[in-house]
Amino acid sequence: MVLDNLGSSLRSSLDKLQGKSRLDEDDVEEIIKEIQRSLLSADVEVTLVMDLSASIEERATGEEPPAGTSARDHVLRIVYEELVDLVGESTDLPLESQTILLAGLQGSGKTTSAAKMAWWFSKKGLRPAVIQTDTFRPGAYDQAEQMCERAEVSFYGDPDEDDPVRIARDGLEATEDADVHIVDTAGRHALEDDLIAEIEEIESTVDPDRSLLVLDAAIGQGAEEQAREFDDAIGIGGVVVTKLDGTAKGGGALTAVNETGSSIAFLGTGETVQDIERFEPNGFISRLLGMGDLKQLSERVERAMAETGDEEDDWEPEDIMEGSFTLKDMQKQMEAMNKMGPLDQVMDMIPGLGGGMMDELPDDAMDVTQDRMRAFDVIMDSMTDDELENPRSIGASRVRRIARGAGEDEETVQELLQQHKMMEQTIQQFQGMGEGDMQRMMKKIQNGGGGGMGGLGGGGGGLGPFG
Amino acid sequence: MFDGLKDKLGSFREDVEETAEEKAEAEAETDAPTEADESSEGTGGPSSPADSVEAGADEPVAGDADLATEGGGDPEEGGGLAADEAAAALEEDDDEESGPGRLKRAAAFATGKIIIEEEDLEDPLWNLEMALLESDVEMNVAEEILDTIRGKMIGETRAQVETTGELVEVALRDALYDVISVGQFDFDERVQDADKPVTIVFTGVNGVGKTTSIAKLSRYFEERGLDVVMANGDTYRAGANEQIREHADALATKLISHEQGGDPAAVLYDAVEYAEANDVDVVLGDTAGRLHTSDDLMAQLEKIDRVVDPDMTLFVDEAVAGQDAVKRAEQFNDAAEINGTVLTKADADSSGGAAISIAYVTGRPILFLGVGQGYDDIERFDPERLVDRLVGEE
Repeated sequence: MVLDNLGSSLRSSLDKLQGKSRLDEDDVEEIIKEIQRSLLSADVEVTLVMDLSASIEERATGEEPPAGTSARDHVLRIVYEELVDLVGESTDLPLESQTILLAGLQGSGKTTSAAKMAWWFSKKGLRPAVIQTDTFRPGAYDQAEQMCERAEVSFYGDPDEDDPVRIARDGLEATEDADVHIVDTAGRHALEDDLIAEIEEIESTVDPDRSLLVLDAAIGQGAEEQAREFDDAIGIGGVVVTKLDGTAKGGGALTAVNETGSSIAFLGTGETVQDIERFEPNGFISRLLGMGDLKQLSERVERAMAETGDEEDDWEPEDIMEGSFTLKDMQKQMEAMNKMGPLDQVMDMIPGLGGGMMDELPDDAMDVTQDRMRAFDVIMDSMTDDELENPRSIGASRVRRIARGAGEDEETVQELLQQHKMMEQTIQQFQGMGEGDMQRMMKKIQNGGGGGMGGLGGGGGGLGPFG
Repeated sequence: MFDGLKDKLGSFREDVEETAEEKAEAEAETDAPTEADESSEGTGGPSSPADSVEAGADEPVAGDADLATEGGGDPEEGGGLAADEAAAALEEDDDEESGPGRLKRAAAFATGKIIIEEEDLEDPLWNLEMALLESDVEMNVAEEILDTIRGKMIGETRAQVETTGELVEVALRDALYDVISVGQFDFDERVQDADKPVTIVFTGVNGVGKTTSIAKLSRYFEERGLDVVMANGDTYRAGANEQIREHADALATKLISHEQGGDPAAVLYDAVEYAEANDVDVVLGDTAGRLHTSDDLMAQLEKIDRVVDPDMTLFVDEAVAGQDAVKRAEQFNDAAEINGTVLTKADADSSGGAAISIAYVTGRPILFLGVGQGYDDIERFDPERLVDRLVGEE
């Protein structure tokens, strides 16, 4: 995720302030250095880093922490505010008829983003159309056409025409009845004068409501120059950051936002058309600073539950709270967990679990957990319906049979049964709890953090209560 | 490309020169005060703290002025630096008492030489580090370069005949050359001499320009009298088949491809078989772009590497990539060991730090630069010429 690293290194230096009520100069200096390092290794532009760290330093030394606030919280708040200030609000995208022009370097992901954005608008109940004006790159037309097919949105392009301006004009006419027009363009960089002139011409023909700059999360310091030149040429109203599912931190996006005076509109997080998120600054910064992002989490849970429920109508997550908790329920939960995305991403959104906690886990902890979940899934596939409904009926000989059927060893089967038993007990504790108890429980999880880990490490079941 | 870095390296040299000159002057002037210091120390013990405070107060002023003259272009660095400056000044005070340099320095002074000490380099090196980072050199690699320079320069005595500039230039050249020239080999010769067909597989993340580079290299080999067959191992991305097909048609090169969704290893394998049967010299195998975080796709890459067993694997990345370039280069190298790197979009980037970082962490050379959208827009990467251009006076 954007600036992941800033989160962990910043937290560790902030933790050194634990228990202190006043900041001395050394503390501030060390933290500032850490902030600079983190931002720089996240590809944020050097001058911007210096500006940002200077104002954090000034405020950290100049402002008195409010009474009763620890030094750590004081600094945390300053960093939070400065970062929110820098990142700004998410680009305003009214859900109404509009034309959007996409621009960016070769290979930054414009065509994929165009289809993803169209998909996003279609889910909001609008009728989008993608107009492909890339006449230069071989295969661009076919790529756009296939992506739009997958996104189930209208598409216009003309493989026989080689004037992008004409295609843009014809495309707008041909897709007149669509609400949202997304105009994709050929990749170009800021130093190619003739291509910059071309996109200026497309811009004046299309007359977009906003032009978005599509940036690869891995872009380095060059982001500044590229953003400035594109902004000069066509006026950039927002930034789409792509390939955030890699390890790049996306600091170039902050640079671009700063340079163009715009904001982040969308984040691209994968290769399928659904892998797109609107950028949410507050949640994003909280997650970054290890404060969790419950809003994103609950959205993901809801979506995942709905998707899991869609496939089989006879399963209601609510049943768990009333009836007994069977292996079938557990399997469903694991399925839902999988749909929420990679475990570490989900974990990061849980207050108290994300950030600091995550840093302490070995790097491969999440992989191991995911492997285990996969093994459990295979094992459950090897069970009969009756066994899934009544796990207690599974004796030693059945364990042997299941293990053989699943190609796993017997211990893993035993572990699964053990895990189920633990979860069943947890769920039973939840049953009969009032609303207030639930809130207290949440609070406990928020403060303690560690509590939920056992279940998660074991099989990802600990999240059950969130459903 | 690399012009930005060149400017910044130039200013590093000036920084050090300036510091050294100031030091030489200061040396001459401060000689007396140091004596005075000593005598006061001798007379009254308790008064010495006051002395060092005074010295401490003097230093930062000098330091600030220094900054203002050299860093005129970016005054915002001052904020972050002021604290360093003070710390450095303090350290200097401490060192003065204990440093082994004292006798040496006296000797050097007597013979008209000055010695470069750590604190002399602190500011210029900080500026250099920022310059490297601004050029997208990865942080750890930048630190490595700084260490090399530090190691080469500290404690060096420079004779008065030798300018500080020359000393810096040598240290810079060595440090950069070490990093940039790593593992270079004669690519053309290796391809010419190898048993035919030579199979070259291209790997890298999405959108860096693998297919375009293959098309350019296809032209490159044809010009050197080698037949080429292209194989489309990207059976995943929408439009991938169409893209490489158009290149193959334009270049009149044979292309082996399967349906979208097919097994990439099988496509590459078929291409090698075709090359063997038809006496084709070079097989250029494309692969789907993949992010190094995708375990499944990286496992697939390992499989391709195992099944096809290529003569060479070239990693393709873009010159505009930032700090992350290193991480992905490492991971691609782990999955399917690379023999070299093709750096694309070099015409879009003025810094070129990615080249330095990737070569350094993989231990494999940068072989080609992609410098435009035409088939001829590919250049052999020449580290020696580059370093000359970077540090040489023009």
